[in-house]
Amino acid sequence: MASSDKTINTDVPEKDVFAIHFLQSLSNLTTQNPFNSPDTTNYRARKIKKAAYVSMAKAAGGSSRLWSRALLGRAAKENNKIVRFARRKRKVTWKISSKRRSDQRAPEATDRLRNLVPGGGTMETSKLMEETAHYIKCLSMQVKVMQCLVDGLSPK
Amino acid sequence: MDLTGGFGARSGGAGPCREAIGLESLHLGDEFRQLVTTLPPDNAGGSFTALLELPSTQAVELLHFTDSSSSQAAVTAIGGDIAPPLHSFGGTLTFPSNPVLLERAARFSVIATEQQNGNVSGETPTSSVPSNSSANLDRVKTEPAETDSAVEKQVPSPNQTNRSGKRKDFEKKVKSSTKKNKSSEENEKLPYVHVRARRGQATDSHSLAERARREKINARMKLLQELVPGCDKIQGTALVLDEIINHVQSLQRQVEMLSMRLAAVNPRIDFNLDTILASENGSLMDGSFSGTAMQLAWPHQAIETEQSFHHHRQLQPPPPQQWPFEGLNQPVWGREEDQTHGNDHSNLMAVSENVMVDSANLHPNQVKMEL
Repeated sequence: MASSDKTINTDVPEKDVFAIHFLQSLSNLTTQNPFNSPDTTNYRARKIKKAAYVSMAKAAGGSSRLWSRALLGRAAKENNKIVRFARRKRKVTWKISSKRRSDQRAPEATDRLRNLVPGGGTMETSKLMEETAHYIKCLSMQVKVMQCLVDGLSPK
Repeated sequence: MDLTGGFGARSGGAGPCREAIGLESLHLGDEFRQLVTTLPPDNAGGSFTALLELPSTQAVELLHFTDSSSSQAAVTAIGGDIAPPLHSFGGTLTFPSNPVLLERAARFSVIATEQQNGNVSGETPTSSVPSNSSANLDRVKTEPAETDSAVEKQVPSPNQTNRSGKRKDFEKKVKSSTKKNKSSEENEKLPYVHVRARRGQATDSHSLAERARREKINARMKLLQELVPGCDKIQGTALVLDEIINHVQSLQRQVEMLSMRLAAVNPRIDFNLDTILASENGSLMDGSFSGTAMQLAWPHQAIETEQSFHHHRQLQPPPPQQWPFEGLNQPVWGREEDQTHGNDHSNLMAVSENVMVDSANLHPNQVKMEL
């Protein structure tokens, strides 16, 4: 899954890395709330979805990607854990001021992309595109893993 | 002395100029005369230009200039080709803004004056030379030099590589910034950077930065286009962006759908061994299992039971279609499956061993089998 561009690095680990992380998180899920949680499918689905995203972020490279950092930070906040990564200095001011001024215009494509990609609110556009590329690769990998799981588990 | 070394190296360049100027008009010191006479008599134009690393047109121009200067009867000439260009070009010659070069040029002219203090062999008085050189120095920054090579070849060879390298850098910079440029030929002759913009575009730093930024964004957009299926046929960035957004949204929806299916499929969030087996076998078939992945995943618990291991090996669900089943494994697993397909299911469901341990046992064997 190596990228062909030599200046922009969008390498993504192999499928088994994602699989391992996902299964780990799933087993953690099972050991978390054994009997005192409502056992509805929806609730479990939501839990599984969160576990999927967190495991994807971990598998894709922990804190080396902006979106993964944002995802993990968001998840940690939801669990009331304060997890902070070392932040690099970010060129924020120019971008933010421009966004405030032109807030009235219709949500542009880049703005929509920012909403979709975790952590995309304060990135430069070129950085956003890089992160999007990596995010898409990781997402498709995660989808493959989950598809395999479901197929393996579903009754024959 | 580096002077001697430099002169020896540039023998070819000195040839024609020397001829043009005429050795007889020069009143050189002894050592310089020796140097000059040891220079090879004649040089073909090709080697001359090769030495100068100039295109032939520039060399011709240079020769032309030196020829015209001979009539002015160079006064303070070192090696016959330095000072005449220095003060005869006057308004036309400019040097690259290289302080080392300027210093050397000044030094040459100073040395020339020292040598020929007593000689009045030309129209220009010796005292004018330093002023001329200083005037030339002043003119360095303002005038583009078409004969930068003149100064360049005067500099001793240790510096020459620096200079030519720098000129090449200038040229490169200039060339890279002038794509559709009708004056590109002029630029190549310039020793330093007048950054020419493309036709009809501004040159201030802001627009340059803007242009660089836009190019970055376009490069990444291309990358994204290759990633998203069906995006290369679309023209226009807006539509491509829309397509990319749709793709991301669809992927996220797929994750949600699959997580719901997973929750529905498994009545208990109790993932036991067969799930591990299913998924991991699939992943193993798909690609190589990296040792590092193993290390980071599995803690070091060493509960080994042969029975559980045996169970795992036997329960082998048929891999889904998207995994290429390696020929090596197929006969082994298939045989075992036929024998014990159904009976161990219940056993496994009941088994509640540590997930990590069993998989740790499993992987080395599976990896061996694949290899």
